[in-house]
Amino acid sequence: KVPEVGGEGRIQDPPELQEQRARAALRERYLRSLLAMVGHPVSFTLHEGVHVTAQFGATDLDVANFYVSQLQTPIGVQAEALLRCSDIISYSFKL
Amino acid sequence: MSEWMKKSPLEWQDYVYKEVRVVASEKKEYKGWLVTTDPVSANIVLVTFLEDGSLSVTGVMGHSVQTVEVVSEGDHKVREKLMRLFTSVDCEGYSP
Repeated sequence: KVPEVGGEGRIQDPPELQEQRARAALRERYLRSLLAMVGHPVSFTLHEGVHVTAQFGATDLDVANFYVSQLQTPIGVQAEALLRCSDIISYSFKL
Repeated sequence: MSEWMKKSPLEWQDYVYKEVRVVASEKKEYKGWLVTTDPVSANIVLVTFLEDGSLSVTGVMGHSVQTVEVVSEGDHKVREKLMRLFTSVDCEGYSP
């Protein structure tokens, strides 16, 4: 397929290539933001107004769970835990 | 599934480096500079610059996002700061 010529006489990439490039850039930056979070104390906002803090460790590739340590819960400290991402509204940390 | 999760990568990219207000589940509201949206989970990463020079990073889970509204288009200075963030291993530079 011949690439289309843009309005300014530039050869534009086909839409699927542009989309793939955008997807890759967004994903890479997201993974790097997770990398920056490793070892930091992170505060999680869960449903029903529950807040917990923990040290972030890792996540799975579809971002379904967060593996954390030293999870501070209202009923005590859990040394290691998996937080289901479906239970989380947001998370935040400082850099 | 929310409107936000159904967007395409190119639509998500339109929000990058803009200041946005995100409304999430349970009427939670977040404001900050949008750095990226994970194309897999639709999770949004927002950054705010704190007065002491540090950064606050907030992730809003894609499944809980209700609306995303652009507050400001941003400028070159902010854009440059945000572009350096998370682009290479030198994010260590922001640690205390």
